[in-house]
Amino acid sequence: MSAPLLEVENISRSFGGLRALNDVSFSVKEGEIVSIIGPNGAGKTTLFNLISGVFPPSSGDVRFKGKSIVGMATYRIAKAGIGRTYQVVRPFVRLSVIDNVAVGALVHEKTYAAARRAAAEILELVGLSHLADSPASSLTLTQRKRLEVARALATRPALLLLDEVMAGLNPTEVDAMCAFILNLRKHGISAVGGIEHLMRFVMNISDRIIVLDFGRKIAEGTPQEIATHPEVVAAYFGTPIET
Amino acid sequence: MNLRILGFAALAVLLLASAMVPLSGNGYILSLVYISLLFTGLAYGWNIISGYAGYLSFGQITFFGIGAYVVAIGTTRFHAEWWLCALIGGAFCAALAVPMGYLMLRLQGPFFALGMLGLAQSLRIATDTIPFTGGAEGIYLPPGSNAVHVYYWTLGVLVLAIVLTAWIDRSAFGLRLRALREDERAAGTLGVDTTSSKVQAFVLSAIIPALLGGGYAWYLTYVEPSSIYSTEIELQTVAMAILGGMGTLWGPLVGGILMSQVSESLSTRFPQTHLMIFGALIVILLIALPRGIVPAISERLNRKKTAAKARPQEAVT
Amino acid sequence: MHVELVIQLIINGLLLGGVFALAALGLNVIFGVTRIVNLAHGQIVILTALTCAVIFQRFGITPIEALPGALIGGAILGTLIERLLLRRLPEHAQSREWTSLLITFGVSYFLVGLSLAIFSGDFRSVAYLTDSWHVGGIDFPKAQLLAFILAILIAGFLGILLRSTKVGRALRAASQNLDGARTCGIDIGRMRTLSFALGCGIAAASGALLSMVYAYNPDTGSQFTLISFSVVVLGGLGSYAGAIVGAGLLGLAVSFVGFYGNTHFGSMMPYIVFILVLLFRPTGILGKPATT
Repeated sequence: MSAPLLEVENISRSFGGLRALNDVSFSVKEGEIVSIIGPNGAGKTTLFNLISGVFPPSSGDVRFKGKSIVGMATYRIAKAGIGRTYQVVRPFVRLSVIDNVAVGALVHEKTYAAARRAAAEILELVGLSHLADSPASSLTLTQRKRLEVARALATRPALLLLDEVMAGLNPTEVDAMCAFILNLRKHGISAVGGIEHLMRFVMNISDRIIVLDFGRKIAEGTPQEIATHPEVVAAYFGTPIET
Repeated sequence: MNLRILGFAALAVLLLASAMVPLSGNGYILSLVYISLLFTGLAYGWNIISGYAGYLSFGQITFFGIGAYVVAIGTTRFHAEWWLCALIGGAFCAALAVPMGYLMLRLQGPFFALGMLGLAQSLRIATDTIPFTGGAEGIYLPPGSNAVHVYYWTLGVLVLAIVLTAWIDRSAFGLRLRALREDERAAGTLGVDTTSSKVQAFVLSAIIPALLGGGYAWYLTYVEPSSIYSTEIELQTVAMAILGGMGTLWGPLVGGILMSQVSESLSTRFPQTHLMIFGALIVILLIALPRGIVPAISERLNRKKTAAKARPQEAVT
Repeated sequence: MHVELVIQLIINGLLLGGVFALAALGLNVIFGVTRIVNLAHGQIVILTALTCAVIFQRFGITPIEALPGALIGGAILGTLIERLLLRRLPEHAQSREWTSLLITFGVSYFLVGLSLAIFSGDFRSVAYLTDSWHVGGIDFPKAQLLAFILAILIAGFLGILLRSTKVGRALRAASQNLDGARTCGIDIGRMRTLSFALGCGIAAASGALLSMVYAYNPDTGSQFTLISFSVVVLGGLGSYAGAIVGAGLLGLAVSFVGFYGNTHFGSMMPYIVFILVLLFRPTGILGKPATT
């Protein structure tokens, strides 16, 4: 019905002789949670880098809200409404937690003071308010991951790209993060694209799953469909996935 | 918060005292304080691109030199007022800094630092060679120089630099600079136009030394390449900012005050060894207080604050 | 005859390049392993050159004879710098970069001051082998030729060291992939010290050789640092072969521009080349980029 929020069309990306992505296409609609899975080296992070503008595709198009964003500078893409977290978190180490988030808020706020106010609200959301004035360097890994998400949220993205946001979390933390992500939809984040290895999370949370292997899309569908998809099973395991 | 008000109060006192120095009629004291004002101003200028934006430059003397030579040439060849020439020098450096910034700020870390150093050296050699700039013999400025005028000019530029830094410290622009200093790529992902921000910082960092250099030329009444494009001036500027605390509002002030007097007395008393002492000082400072005096003090104060906050909870458990 | 002139300029350029190469190799070794840019590099070259000038004058010891001493002296200085100063760097990668940059900046000025205190501001050089061989109408200045040959030898020795010895391979491993090297059990701390010792030793050696070629005073140190960096960047960071090619090209540039332009512009060449390469071809001829 409504036009897709994100359209990825036949994108490929090569690095020298290596083809990291090969003719991948998919789209994400508003309000969807889409997970991208695949064995290591399948091209998932490259895909995220392409969408967020870290580098351009070798061929193909990426459209966001109907407009092509290929060749746009990273910061413009962020301003247009695509937020992203990094797998290896990159906090602004010497800035305080609240300043970290305020940077993201500057996309929509004009002044430092307003940005800090917006940041304070976000910190409430992720449960880091009590650490607002602490330097980011003093945070534990879990806290840093939450900070990473908070920063991206501060830009008020329509699409949030979460790169292996579960990595390194224990089961309780994973459940909390799951609930948090499902909650995002209520807070105006239209869609979430996630790269994950944790199958439990992927199956529970996703509306749709896209499977990459060696840079190609080998399957796309609902969790149920993917769980029994022969190629997916072959790429990952020897047996079908239990849900 | 209290610290900030205290800082501004102390600053106001210092500025007032400085403003009254020329009234004493003592030329020697005037020159001593002038040097402090000059170097503190230079440290503030350096602090913007190197401290806040994180692009360490070893060539800000480039703009200082251009400012000085614009005044030298303007007053001798065009018979213009020195302060007008200084303003023109400032404007020229601001304009020059835009394309220069776009080009040079693509370089990372040490390459930017050295690139700027190379630029400064090239300019020194060029100035030495080209007849228009007086070559190695330099240029003698026309008579009429009044040290008090230059003094107030420099004080004014210093105030400008401090106000600018205070604004940067608490503004959205400043936050963007600090973000790109920490992690340029992550900052981009969060919507910061890093290129534009750092070029702006570079321009601001060019105007201040240019204006100060213009005053310096009028003060010395003589310019020649090696004393204007002086590595010693660059060294002292860097050292002061580091000692005080890079990327902070009060750092250059603390460093400037402490160091400029030390440096002056050293260079007059131990002309041979003062460079050695200075170099050694920088190294020792970096090892002992890697972030400078001001951050060290504020960290200590913060620790007391968080300890105080923690105590009520301890009482409960 | 014009052709002879051009050939002479080429020869001069290449000979000059030989010694530039040696200076640059020292820098490459340090940067390759530690990613630290040693701003004191040029000053070490100058300090050694000045020392050689003085001991030649007082004791008649030629720079060639002094060469082993220079190598060892430089190595000791490098070890001291690395162990005393650069060990205490903060963990955060970016702080490391700046702090090490500023520390070596401070060290370089310390050395300038030291040089001035010991040697005063006079220009000195070693008046040894000041004549030339004349072959087919071309002048081969003896001092420069000797410096060139020794530079090639030292570079060759370095190459063998890096390729064929266990230590050398460990150094190369550390410069290509720090974590990988660590996993293989290579002691990174020792590699760092070793690279500094080697790098500064070679810098000192090039200083000894250069003392016969030019005159120096303590202020010319930063010029040398920049020249070495120009070579490294021109040839491509991390590439030893590139550094040699780069040095040759730079030597030629200085030689030709110095003659057809004037000597001042000739001496500006390293900076101009440096900036141009960084801006327009950051990978250099054969290496890794200096920009993001």
